[in-house]
Amino acid sequence: MLDRRAMLGAALAYPAQAWAVPKRTPGGRRIINAMMFEDPAHLNYPLSNTRIMQEICGNINESLLLFDWQFKPQPNLADSFEMSPDGLHYVFHLRRDVLWHDGVPFTAKDVAFSCGVMLPQLNPRSRASFSHIASIKTPDRYTVEFQLSQPFNAFLLSFMASSAPMMPAHIFEGTDFRTNPYNFKPIGTGPFKFADWKRGQHIHLTRNERYWRPGRPGMDEVYYRVCPTPEQRLVAMETGAVDIAMADDIDTIVTSRLLANPKLVTRTDAYNGTGEIAVMELNMRRWPFSDRRFRAAFLHAVDREFLVKAINFGMGKVAHGPIPSDAPYYDDKVLTKYPYDPARARALLDEMGCKPKLGGVRHRFGIMMIPDGGGYWTRNAQYIKQALAQVGLEVELEAVDWPTQLRRSGNWEFDCDCNSYGEYGDPAIGTSRFYLSGNIRKGVPLTNLQGYVNPEVDRLFNQAAVAVSRAEAQACYSRLQQILTHDVGMLWLYERKPVFIYNKRLKNVVMGPNGPSDGFGATELA
Amino acid sequence: MGFARRFFARPATVFGSVVFLIIVIIALGSPLMFAHGPLSIVGMPLLPPGSPGFLAGSDVIGRDMAVGLAYGARISLLVGISSTCCAVGIGVLLGAIAGYYGGAVDDLLMRMTEFFQIIPAFVLLMVLVAFMQPSLGSAVIGIALITWPQVARVVRGQFLSLRSREFVEAARVIGMGDARIIFTQILPNALPPIVVISSMMVGNAILTESALSFLGLGDPNLMSWGSMIGSSRVAMWVAWWTTVLPGLCIVITVLALNFIGDGLNDALNPRRRR
Amino acid sequence: MKFSYIAMRLVKTVLITAAVVLLSFFLIRAVPGDAATVMAGQAGYADEAYMKGLRAEYGLDQPLPVQLWRYVEKVAQGDLGTSYVRRQPVTAIILERLPNTLLLDAFALLVAAAGGIWLGSMAARRPGSAGDSAVTVLAMLFYAVPQFWLGMMMVLVFAVWFPLLPPFGIETMGADYTGLARVGDVVQHMILPGMTLALYFLASYARLTRTAMIDVADQDFVKTARAKGLTERQVARRHILRNALIPLVTYAGLQASILVGGSVLVENVFSWPGVGTLAFQAVQGRDNPLLLGIFIVTAVLVSLFNLITDIAYSIVDPRVELG
Repeated sequence: MLDRRAMLGAALAYPAQAWAVPKRTPGGRRIINAMMFEDPAHLNYPLSNTRIMQEICGNINESLLLFDWQFKPQPNLADSFEMSPDGLHYVFHLRRDVLWHDGVPFTAKDVAFSCGVMLPQLNPRSRASFSHIASIKTPDRYTVEFQLSQPFNAFLLSFMASSAPMMPAHIFEGTDFRTNPYNFKPIGTGPFKFADWKRGQHIHLTRNERYWRPGRPGMDEVYYRVCPTPEQRLVAMETGAVDIAMADDIDTIVTSRLLANPKLVTRTDAYNGTGEIAVMELNMRRWPFSDRRFRAAFLHAVDREFLVKAINFGMGKVAHGPIPSDAPYYDDKVLTKYPYDPARARALLDEMGCKPKLGGVRHRFGIMMIPDGGGYWTRNAQYIKQALAQVGLEVELEAVDWPTQLRRSGNWEFDCDCNSYGEYGDPAIGTSRFYLSGNIRKGVPLTNLQGYVNPEVDRLFNQAAVAVSRAEAQACYSRLQQILTHDVGMLWLYERKPVFIYNKRLKNVVMGPNGPSDGFGATELA
Repeated sequence: MGFARRFFARPATVFGSVVFLIIVIIALGSPLMFAHGPLSIVGMPLLPPGSPGFLAGSDVIGRDMAVGLAYGARISLLVGISSTCCAVGIGVLLGAIAGYYGGAVDDLLMRMTEFFQIIPAFVLLMVLVAFMQPSLGSAVIGIALITWPQVARVVRGQFLSLRSREFVEAARVIGMGDARIIFTQILPNALPPIVVISSMMVGNAILTESALSFLGLGDPNLMSWGSMIGSSRVAMWVAWWTTVLPGLCIVITVLALNFIGDGLNDALNPRRRR
Repeated sequence: MKFSYIAMRLVKTVLITAAVVLLSFFLIRAVPGDAATVMAGQAGYADEAYMKGLRAEYGLDQPLPVQLWRYVEKVAQGDLGTSYVRRQPVTAIILERLPNTLLLDAFALLVAAAGGIWLGSMAARRPGSAGDSAVTVLAMLFYAVPQFWLGMMMVLVFAVWFPLLPPFGIETMGADYTGLARVGDVVQHMILPGMTLALYFLASYARLTRTAMIDVADQDFVKTARAKGLTERQVARRHILRNALIPLVTYAGLQASILVGGSVLVENVFSWPGVGTLAFQAVQGRDNPLLLGIFIVTAVLVSLFNLITDIAYSIVDPRVELG
């Protein structure tokens, strides 16, 4: 077991950096400094939802609802809302005092456009959620009525800023979303508005003076500074040059150093809303991946406890199924689990006819890696390669860059790939898309890339999504977890609890399970 | 023999030779010395040197550093020696032709060496390795391609001065063909400086290979000293040995080679002052 | 000074640069990896229509000789093309970063020369002493040390173990210093990478100085000076050092050329925003115009440095005639 105390002791022996750090409120301006690996391609979050865009745009764009720690919907851009008893009719009453950053009033037209046109077109999660909508009506400037074709009990959960940010109709309607110049100077309703973008240096957001929440935002400027290497990000946090380290900013290797730093606060609950699981996906169109015994053998061959404890320095929890253990509808009793058992793995492979040939190799295949510059993904893949070699499976690690990864995964040109999927509050939003046969779309990433087809699973997911009572939904999801874990519908490795670290000079930084996706509107100087 | 006496005149050269021999033995014998290979994950990560079972500690993913260091010697020596052989081969050939025939051929060679002097050599190497896809072979070829000019210059100089000597004239008179004159008459006399710079070139090639691996342009399936340093950039902040130990191996190896080069210089150029 | 010689050298520079452009153009075009794919990937999506548009926009669908001619045309006007990855003019990108590299190089050159000459002259004055041997051993050591590892050891000692100096970048991030504070900040950041670059060359300077001074000290005009009654120090300063300058000036020119093209590793270790880092990113991102632009700018600079070195050489040693 990794001796945390020894590591903490070692970390404390290295004092925080001594050279002078400038005053944090020059000219009285209250500044938040955050980091990013590199410039994002653009700032239109629905267009290509990467984590950094999600975090930056969380300050600029908002959705109709906010969610508290219990995942209960709270008013945001929507002042109040009603749902009909049959679950088919939703009415949202919008606030009347919200302005877009360019001064144009936010109205029902924007909601109708976002939910009806732009988001379904661009964002796979919204497409799935909003496919249940039969019609959207705007009886007056501040009322939106959604008529669903069948009840969808996760409909309200779709309105998180990370899933459905409201986009300005007057900017995007009728334009080609991909080439719209406002992708580089985004307009939103949020507490901070876009100020400038110096590529290679920073993205600068400034206070929205006309923000509709009184007293907010509590700070004046937000800077996302380019900090390409993990060492640089570590030093930036230690010296206080940067106040916030989000999700994967700090490599797990050195997190212990920051945990020991008295100037910093660490939260592990800032990403509860995402419910992320690190997975590997097999191309089930190819033998032997099509056989569930191979997939079961894979899980038996890899010591996932070691993966979490050693390779990831204890940051995570072994995942046993498609739904994270602390998410709603998780049902531990029905899961088929696959503990570390290389002998069992070999037996399964023998049984299915994947026997060792000359040289002891049963099967050779490739694992397409995530280009994370030697980070935890690379280490995970290296350990898994070794573990599989013990049971006679020879793996070639394929190093690719991001464009190639997206292309090959979307076009199913892989044996096995690595990914990380978030549930985003409800299995109907974030989980089902990977197992529904209807979501097998060539050329589109973040879909059912494996080609998993099970009509029973399709039926259950659809039923659960439209179930009116929670009990009914739970029954469906329990049965789903039972089937999917028996089938080994995906190679679930471990649940990720990314760490969120910030400097004690700030408070109110993490206000809910969505953490930075909801922006820093509430943040103030401590 | 006079050669041996002159070669081992300096204690530094003796030291260098012994150290180099040890490194060669470790490189050749590493598969026999260890039960597992350098890429095997065998324990908890970032164990300090001296931990039970981990003489040199473990790296960021739980690999045995000692095994990695031993296998790294194989890569360094392999690339260093192969690339130098290739560079010497190319350089001798082109330098001999240019030096022997002179004129336009010589001019062409001089322009080529100038070209290589002016463009940023390491950047060119990066481009070449990226072109050929990073591997052991591309490293060897790439390094050979950027280092042959130095050999060619030396060989050319030697041939220019040797070609008008009497024994060459004599060979021509008895009807020896150009090729035979070049390879059997002039080349043996031109060898000493080539041998001396060869050992330096092996050392430099090892430094260059480690730089490529450090940047991630080395063979992705092999463990070398440079890649060990490159993959410990973050780990260094909590585990100094992951970076310090592989670097020390490089320093010791190249130092030994440089000492050997000095010894060769003493042995082959006895008239040169210190 | 013969101006015709200088003019001829400048013409030669242009010719060599042309050769560099030509060869590099074909070499870099040969690297697999379609630029349009890279750029499309950067934008987050990759469909054929968009990529076709990109290829047309960058002239990638033209036959190779046409591409070359268009490129040469533009280079003659000082336009080095547009970076595939950053979508900005290459000339602007390089000019933005070049001062950082030149600043670091100048610092390294000064430290290496000053330190090396001092150490070398000390060693030369007492040949065979312990101090002399120490200088030689140190020189040998520095020849064997990989630059990138030396840089990391600097970071280890001066930032990880004893937090004394900033290990990354050129300025404190987000501080927006101005004036003297900014200068001080940059100098602080320059120390570790500058010392790393300098140490290798410092060893060479020391050895060169030592050898040259020992050689010169034996020569006639020095013996004359001593006979005339000048002190050792005066002899050293006025005569020996001055004559030892020749190999040193040559070496300085060599160092400048090496540095301009070869600081990729040190800039990488210290995340110094210079041309070296740019080159590495260009190779990784298959950013051909940027890479080619760097080749060209480096070639021009190295040729210029060589010319300056030769001129300085002729000033220092009046016996040398140019041309």
